[in-house]
This record gives sequence, structure tokens and C-alpha cells, in this order.
Amino acid sequence: MSAVAPTIEPNPLREGLEQERVPDASCLVIFGASGDLTHRKLLPALYSLAHDGLLPAGQTIIGFSRPDYTDEAFRMDVREACNKYARTRPVDDAVWENFAKGLFYVRGDFTEPGAYLRLKQKLEECDRSRGTGGRRIYYLAVPPNFFPVICEFLGGEGMVNDPERGGPFTRAIIEKPFGHDLESARELNRVAVSTFRERQVFRIDHYLGKETVQNLLVLRFANGIFEPFWNRQYIDHVQFTVAESIGVEKRGGYFDSAGITRDIVQNHLLQLVSLFAMEPPVAFEANAVRDEKVKVIRALREFPKGREHELAVRGQYTAGSVLGEKAPGYLQEENVKPNSRTETFSALKLFVDNWRWADVPFYIRAGKRLPKRVTDISIHFRPAPYPLFNKGTSVKTQPNVLAIRIQPDEGISLKFDSKVPGPSVRTAPVSMEFRYATSFGAEPPEAYERLLLETMLGDSTLFARRDEVETAWAWLDPLLNTWASDSRPPDSYAAGTWGPESADALIERDGRKWRRP
Amino acid sequence: MSESDLDRAAAGEELPVDYTSIEKSLADLWRGQKADDEHAVTRAALWNVVAHTTSTQEHATASEVLGRASVTVPQRTIVVRANPAADPHMESWISANCHMIGGGKQVCSEEISIVAGGDRIHRVPPLVNALLIPDMPVAVWWIGDLPGEHENYVESLLEPADRLIVDSVHFDAPADLALISRIAERTTTAPADLNWVRLEEWRTATASVFDAPALRGRLRAIRRVRLIAGTSTDGEGAFFGESVESLFFASWLSTQAGHHVDRDGRVEGPSGQIEYRFDRRNQTTDVGGIAFAEILFDDGTSASISRDRERGILTANVDGTVSTPESVTRAMGRGTDDLIVRMLKRPEADRVFVKVISVAARMAKRLVS
Repeated sequence: MSAVAPTIEPNPLREGLEQERVPDASCLVIFGASGDLTHRKLLPALYSLAHDGLLPAGQTIIGFSRPDYTDEAFRMDVREACNKYARTRPVDDAVWENFAKGLFYVRGDFTEPGAYLRLKQKLEECDRSRGTGGRRIYYLAVPPNFFPVICEFLGGEGMVNDPERGGPFTRAIIEKPFGHDLESARELNRVAVSTFRERQVFRIDHYLGKETVQNLLVLRFANGIFEPFWNRQYIDHVQFTVAESIGVEKRGGYFDSAGITRDIVQNHLLQLVSLFAMEPPVAFEANAVRDEKVKVIRALREFPKGREHELAVRGQYTAGSVLGEKAPGYLQEENVKPNSRTETFSALKLFVDNWRWADVPFYIRAGKRLPKRVTDISIHFRPAPYPLFNKGTSVKTQPNVLAIRIQPDEGISLKFDSKVPGPSVRTAPVSMEFRYATSFGAEPPEAYERLLLETMLGDSTLFARRDEVETAWAWLDPLLNTWASDSRPPDSYAAGTWGPESADALIERDGRKWRRP
Repeated sequence: MSESDLDRAAAGEELPVDYTSIEKSLADLWRGQKADDEHAVTRAALWNVVAHTTSTQEHATASEVLGRASVTVPQRTIVVRANPAADPHMESWISANCHMIGGGKQVCSEEISIVAGGDRIHRVPPLVNALLIPDMPVAVWWIGDLPGEHENYVESLLEPADRLIVDSVHFDAPADLALISRIAERTTTAPADLNWVRLEEWRTATASVFDAPALRGRLRAIRRVRLIAGTSTDGEGAFFGESVESLFFASWLSTQAGHHVDRDGRVEGPSGQIEYRFDRRNQTTDVGGIAFAEILFDDGTSASISRDRERGILTANVDGTVSTPESVTRAMGRGTDDLIVRMLKRPEADRVFVKVISVAARMAKRLVS
């Protein structure tokens, strides 16, 4: 029988406060503390949490990395990063002073045993001085090839507490990519669960930390009006777009080995598809939600062997202009192979083969160097069954579209037809809009703030589970293998356009069109 | 109304309108904008907020405060100035509270002013009722002390209200607390108090003391609580409203810790009577605001929370054997618009306040006795 940690009653003084849940103080160790992600996202997010009073007294952050910093130098570096990137910038002196007291640095190479001993010593010191009580969170902000060695050392040095034995918690946060294909994902997961239990592993897909993505669940399950028509009876098709106006920037090396399908579709886009299409969970609780999400991924129809091109298009950008600026072609980007066949755009037509969604096409597309940065889901409803109006004119009534804008300018709009004022009955489409910025004013928290806080609180609802990741790869692998063995280059598109012509053809041969988001 | 009326209203100008056709005037105002305007003005509202005032100065204050608040919580604002002692008359005007959001877009909230005197004040509640945006919650902000007369007028103005906002710093007697408590018990209007919102930073800072698992159990071991609050006098004969923030703190701590407060305001915990001491410190700013709180436990250890005004923070420290670093809580904005925004951002009634208010009415007896 496993021992269970004693349950501590919630703090009754927190009832009704904005910060109703405050985690217990812990030591958060960031492996890869000198990296870009840590500077741009993690540390500014932690500071903003402190600024908003969401971190407990004693919360401790330990940077672990190769450069030779002192605690003081690390703090100065963190302050600069927070001043530059934190949502709550500029740094507030009083908040900073207290936050900085909990910042420490341990220098070390991920493969150096002595470094882990130094880290262990520092952790024990913090337990004594900062009341962290042996609670640990390890954030692996490092390339996946370092996962095994870090996990091995953490386990070997006794720095991971097994939750089955009770006692203080240990959690590990893993950043994407969760593998390159099914095999590598399985290997990563095997490594992770050789040191941690699955419930200790928090796989971050920052899309799940976005307010608008979470609002998708609220829209569906907190409102009585949407769920009745959220199915094949009323919905003609659904479009998902994740468009970036930028190119590969400094990630040319990584991106060229991955491509947009691995970088965006396998994780962010499939997360959106599964949240959109899932059945109502029995509770808003980690496993209940993730059980339903994984069922959607499991229900994705396989690509027909030899006819993948009927459902999938890949593209690569050539020189053009985006937002009025000249943009080079992909093959001219830094660290990209001159003859690369890596796709910078992909468009897929999916089917979720289940009772609710049978034969409803889901068109998804993701691309770089598209006209603008936008992530958007649009639900296109079936037309009215009989055209009562606009007889004798060329005007057609338009199908209703419910559009959910994930970023930027987050919001929801509903397009419907309305009578044009005048003596005759003519219709024209109008739009009813809700914008977060208009209704709620304040800037929402960054995705990383929410996800870091959820990790501290031990709630994994907004994190990807092992079977979600592996099922997604299992579905996508055959298509990626087909593309890999295809000697033809991807279809080209000029930077600043909405992808190759073949992407338009993919949807237009079904008598539909991509919505301009 | 013409397009230039919209520009004038968006710039904050007040446009006189016939009080019998206010809604039509508003519709005309918005119709003035071009449909294809790239920088179109968006109308937004999450609340109907009715401010009740009795003087020109209060009217101006309410208009200014709610104008600022509407940037964060878009609302249809209706400012009523009703003076039964004035000559019978009635007039109205409209304006807009606008601000820019990203992409060059402008968001505006409507503001309606209604001024009534003499027996015409009784025409105001039905007029306000007709001007409320359907399906949006209604908050009535009562500025000043609660009235002891014109009950019908007050009741009819509160009839559609989901929330009644008061500021107990203006209360002159414990009976006002009891009245608010009765409203909570007997009507569907949830009371809300700006003074309670002021206390939020103190509640947050105090809660942080008991967040650490090792300290959670200490709530049962409270022996004595001492509070120091600002007062405008030397202590003798201080205005009742200046004590309410401290009273709320004591009532909240007792209520949430599960202590028993009897009808005379005496507090009993698991290990006997708990002593509450309310000290006052003469100061010119933040009158009524708590400056220091000290909680003593059975074993002689203590926790203290103090405000560092210069640094804009509250710090909480625990003196004892358990190692806990100092906890820092950022002081919250205490401007009336900040308080109103925080209150309106809560979509639901504050259940803790409803519990606390009746206890505070009992504890107040000890202050005045």
C-alpha cells in the first residue's frame, strides 16, 4: 500500500481573495538558465507572478547553467530580462527586492556529476533558510538530447521524491519538442518516466496557457447555446489557421531539421483541434480533460497510403515581401541547407471519425512568412435549407461563421445575414463581435505565467499527457515519412502570401474557400 | 444628432438632451459614425452603473471616477443628482467616456446625467429603470451616508440593483452596518463596500502569514490582535467611519478563523477569549486606514503586518521558530476608481463580505460602548 502525503487544509483566509490558491513554497530549478527561453519567458513570467502576489513567501528559483555567474550577477541579468520582457515591466523596486532574495545560481555542465552535488547542497540550504520543505520543480529548458543525462543525475543523486512514498513533491517541466517522431517521443517519455512518475511530468505546450485557448472550453461548456449545434448536423466544416509573418529567425538549424508540421501542427494545432472537438469531460480536472482530448486524436482518420497529397499540402516560401518589408526566401535563410526540402507551410484536411464529427472536414494550415501573424479557428455552419430571400438577384445568403481569434486581438465574432434597410427584402452579412481588450481592458497574463503557476499548484490539466503526445506522432508519422521519401521539393509560395496554390486547391475542390483571418 | 455630436461626446463634452428621449438621443449619437470608418468607435458595456449623488460636487466626482473606471470596466454610467430640497425641476445630458485600444480603435462607454429637484426626484427611479441596458448587471453606487428618509425613493432606485456600493468610511453609526447587513439578508441586492475593498491588501498580506503549511494551524492559536489605524482626531470622539476598516479586519479574521463572536462582540477561540485592541494614530492622510496589525499566539510568538507607504508594499513577518522569509504584498490602488473597478470585476456577490458585515455590526458595539 502506498503512503499518501497528509492533506493540509486550505488557508481559510484566502477565501474570496483574488489569489485564492497560493502554492506552497518550493525550489524551482531551471536547467538552461542562460538560454533564450529562460530570459524572454520564464524569468519574466516568474517575476510577474511575484508582482501580482501569486508566489508564496520563500519561493526560490535556482538557475543552473554553464556560464560562470555569481548569484549577484545572475540577479542583475534576471532584472534586465524582467525589465525588457515582463508583462509587469518596468520592475518595481520593492517587489524586486523580495523576489531577488529567492534567486540563486549554480554553475555546472549537465554532464558533470559535481555540479549536481553543488545543486543538491544549494537546495538543502534553501530548505533551511527559505522554508521550501524539500519541494522541487525541475524545469528542463534544454534541448531534448540533454533530458536523459539530467534525469539520470537527478534520480541517481536522490533528488527526486517518489510521490507514492509521500513527502514533499517533485515535479519536472519539459519543453517541446516532445520528440521528432513516434520513436523518439517514446524514448523521451521512457527516459522521463524512468526517473519521474507520469503524474510528476508537466509537458508544456504554451498554447494551452493562452487565455483564448482556455476560453474555447468555457465557450463550449459554460454556455448552453453552443453545444447543441457543435456537431456534424449544423457544422459544414472548420478551419484552423496558425500563421506567422516572421521567417525562421535564428532557429534556422533547428527548424530545417523539423519543419512546420513538427514545429506547429503536431503540438499547437492538434491541441486546438482536440479542445475544439472533444466531448464534454466529466470534470474540469487533469485526467478527465486529457482523456477526452486523446480520444479526438485517436479518432483522426489515417492518411490514405499513396494518396496523401489529396489531403495534405506542403509548401516552402520564396523571396517576397511581408508587411511592406522585403523578405528572403527560405533557402537563403541562415543555417538552412541550400537544397532543403523542409516545409515552411502545411495544409491538411482532417476527419475526426467519431459520432459527433463524422465526415465534417477540418482544414488546418500553418505557415511562416504569411501576410500576418494570426491564430484563428472558424466554424462554418451549414446554410439555411432553402433560399427564401434575394430571389431574382445575384446575392446569395452567406453561411454563418463563428470565428475564434486566439491571437492577436483576441476575441470571438459571429457572422450572420441581416436585412438591408429598404423597401425590398435583401440581405447582407453583418458581424457581431466580442473583443477581450474592449470588454476586459487589462492585459491578460502571459501563457507561461499561468503554466508555471499551475505546475506549482500541481494541476496538470493544461499540460500534454504522454499518450496525447505519442498518439499525435503515431497519426502524423506516416505522412512525414511519405514527405521525407518524396524527392520533389515542396510547393513554393512567395513570402507575404497565404501559401502555395495547392493549398487553395485543397479546399476549393470541395467547393469551399479559406477564410481570410 | 450629427457626426460632430459623436466627436464632441467622445471628447467628453456634455450634450443636453430631452429626458423623455434619452435612449433615442444616444441611438442618434452612434448612428452618426460612418460604417466604413477604419477607426470606428466601438460601444462597450459590461455593467450598468448608477451613481446617486445629492450635490454638484458629488455629481462631478462620480462622473470623473466612473469615467476613469470605464476604461477598465466598460459600463453605461447613469449619474443621478437628486435634491428633494431644491426647486422642482428635471434635466438631462449625455456624454461618452472614450479611450484608445490597440490598432487605433476607440472604445466608448455612454454616460447619462439626470438632475432632479423637489418632488420630481420620484420620477428618477422609473426613468433610470428604462435606461438600463438589458441583460447587464446593475450596480447602484450610493455616495455619502445612507439616507434615513425618502425610503420609497431609495427602495425604488435599488429595486433593479444587483449590487449596492457604499463606502462605510462615511458611516456615522453602527446602525449603518446593520442596515447593510439587513439588505444582504432580505433583498437580492448584494451589498458591496469600498472600505472592504481597501482591506483586500491587508487580507492578502495577513493570509500570506498562514500560507506556509507549518503555520496553517496557528489560526487556532490566536490569543490577541492589535490594530493601529489612522484617525483625524486625537482619538476621543473620532468619527465612526474611521474605525470601520479595523472593524472589518477583526470581523474577517474571526469569521474566517472560525472564532465565535457573541452578540456583544466578544470573541472566543479554541483556547479561550481573544482580545482585540483597536488603537488609533493621528494622521492627515489615509484616515481610517490600517497602518499596522499584530497577531499574538498562545506560545508567545507573533506575526506582524505593516504598511511601508514609501515603497508601496505591505510586509508580513513571523517571529518564531519556523523559518519563513518575509512576505511582501504590493499595496493596491486606493483611488475610488481603482476600488470600484476591483469591485465590478467580481462577477458575483462577495460571500465573505456578507458573512463579515453582520459580525462587524456586533463588534462595533464594543467600540462605541
